[in-house]
Amino acid sequence: MSQTAFFSKNSEVTPDNLGAAIQQAIEIEISTIPIYLYTYYSINRSPDQDSISGFLVQQLLKHGKSLTEASAIALELSAEIMVYANKAGALIMSVAIEEMLHMALSSNLKQALAGLPQLVGKSPSVWPACLPGHEPVFWINRAKFSLDQLMTFLKIESPDPLPDPKLLKAPIPYKTIGEFYGMIINCIETNDLQYNTHSPQLIPGKGYYAQNNIDTIYYDKHHKPVYTNAADSGDLVCVFDSASAIQAITFIVDQGEGSKGAPGLNKDGTVDCGAVVPPDYDDPEKKELSHFEKFAQIYCTYKTLSDKFNQLGIGDIDISTYFVMDVPTNPSTAQYPNHIKPVSNLLNAVYTYIFVMVENCYLKSGSTQYEIFMFGIHKSMIFILNSLCGDIMKLKYKGSDNVEYFAAPTFEDYPFGLVSSPKSQLTDLFTLAVTAYPTIQYLQQRILDLPDVPLQIEGKF
Amino acid sequence: MAKINYTPNASLCGGSGPAPAVPGAAASVKPAIELHVCMGLNACKGHDRTGTNNCAGTGYCATAEQHNCKTLNNCRGQGGCGLYGDAQEQMVPGANDCAWQGSCAVPIQAERFSTLGENKGKSTWLLARKLFEERMAKANRNVGSSPFPCGPPENWLTTVLGSYDSCGNSGDKRCSFGFNNPDVNAKDLCDGKGD
Repeated sequence: MSQTAFFSKNSEVTPDNLGAAIQQAIEIEISTIPIYLYTYYSINRSPDQDSISGFLVQQLLKHGKSLTEASAIALELSAEIMVYANKAGALIMSVAIEEMLHMALSSNLKQALAGLPQLVGKSPSVWPACLPGHEPVFWINRAKFSLDQLMTFLKIESPDPLPDPKLLKAPIPYKTIGEFYGMIINCIETNDLQYNTHSPQLIPGKGYYAQNNIDTIYYDKHHKPVYTNAADSGDLVCVFDSASAIQAITFIVDQGEGSKGAPGLNKDGTVDCGAVVPPDYDDPEKKELSHFEKFAQIYCTYKTLSDKFNQLGIGDIDISTYFVMDVPTNPSTAQYPNHIKPVSNLLNAVYTYIFVMVENCYLKSGSTQYEIFMFGIHKSMIFILNSLCGDIMKLKYKGSDNVEYFAAPTFEDYPFGLVSSPKSQLTDLFTLAVTAYPTIQYLQQRILDLPDVPLQIEGKF
Repeated sequence: MAKINYTPNASLCGGSGPAPAVPGAAASVKPAIELHVCMGLNACKGHDRTGTNNCAGTGYCATAEQHNCKTLNNCRGQGGCGLYGDAQEQMVPGANDCAWQGSCAVPIQAERFSTLGENKGKSTWLLARKLFEERMAKANRNVGSSPFPCGPPENWLTTVLGSYDSCGNSGDKRCSFGFNNPDVNAKDLCDGKGD
């Protein structure tokens, strides 16, 4: 990864460095994608209610409940766990999808104001990672779902500077993602900038972006679908003037942090689990919560559910045990044993190829762009990457601590070489992976169906 | 370095182009049937999976190839909808324009609902049937009743097809857990009651 240098605390966005600032914005958005996806895939969204319920009955009987009482409580609690696991997954996926939207919006911005966006090789390569340029630095892990991980998510999306006693004693100018975008808006508003209106962008109305899909919904206790995103919360924007540029940025900031005045963490760094207030929403009809508030909801429900278990005397087992897989923190392909390494390499190559294809969408317009996006990017995400993530997590290995873990997708940038096309390398990697893990044979045709697009792209306006 | 060019004909259509037909090869003698995506959506007699239905709208199952999610349909009119895709895509179950543009699985189980657009939270199969009936009305054709009034239930499809799956990670569309009554939920969807 070669992430672009961030602005120092006293820097300012000017027409001269606007391109670098927008590129940095793109990389901030990209940084969040592997983090959210890693945690998402650690969640079993459909755990077995019967086994949870049966286990809880045994626990409750040990604490003096009658069988009738224990069965009734266990049914209620297991249903709550079922809803919570599915809801947590839906909300995290809804945020991850919007981060991909934000990457596209920032890329449109760059295409209009500063040339081609650079996306390949921009995922964090060192873990724990940090948000590029965020002050103060806080460390981010690819880790399974937990309260700690949710707190990290809240810091990423915080609308307010993070409370830090050290900072209060020796104040350091602090930037939230929203403040950073504010600097870009200021530059756009105060300068007469030239907009490139002829180069391709990812535009609305082509079906590239859908606010809700089956993965962003969850079912309530009565199995009624609940939608986590709203149709009016944001969409792709074609950037061609200052108004459209500011609209694109406003979507990004509002979806992440909420509307102006949205509260962040409490002053002592804890999460405000009070009632949702209007600025916590990101859409005019107040139906979709901001990323920050979505994570706050998951965090607070985790606490409430844990309290409920504690009051019944069965809280010694963390509730996440019922629906979270035991995956390692910050794994790397290099650390995996030989039966997992080739599968992980293939997965990372697919992950990286998605960015290769997005870059190509900024060079091609019309039907060619449509085909790359719909038949390349969509297919890769839904039928190859998602499938591989599920498949790799069926593999187990012993870590250096001698503990057995499930393997997990590492979301590392795969270093495609220049001697052949990335797709050609992808098919070679598939051959190696399927030899080690024949279960993934069904993916062969899906990989062969992908568009063949180049790694190195040329042309600037 | 050698620049690798974008090659739409060799890639986006699914690999290398087909070999030219052998000169003089016999044409298929099997008459083509209309390909449609589900029960109750056939326009003609004998055009369901078993070939035994007697008139429009009464067929038992799809003639289009079974698939389980978005972008996997072979051609025009062969994609299901709902669950994935933007609002516009989700409004045309069984009526997509081209290959790989359908936004969900075929056949369309009765429990499927749309996740975006005007039909959000409502039955996808009922929307497909409405589009089909409009097409038949335009062609001045009468339409018979579907074997199941709201499309094939998932359990029935599993029995008939051996297995059935449509896309998504959010759990079984029919039932993941209690407290809920799958039959009541199915009836609500059938009656047009959305979320």
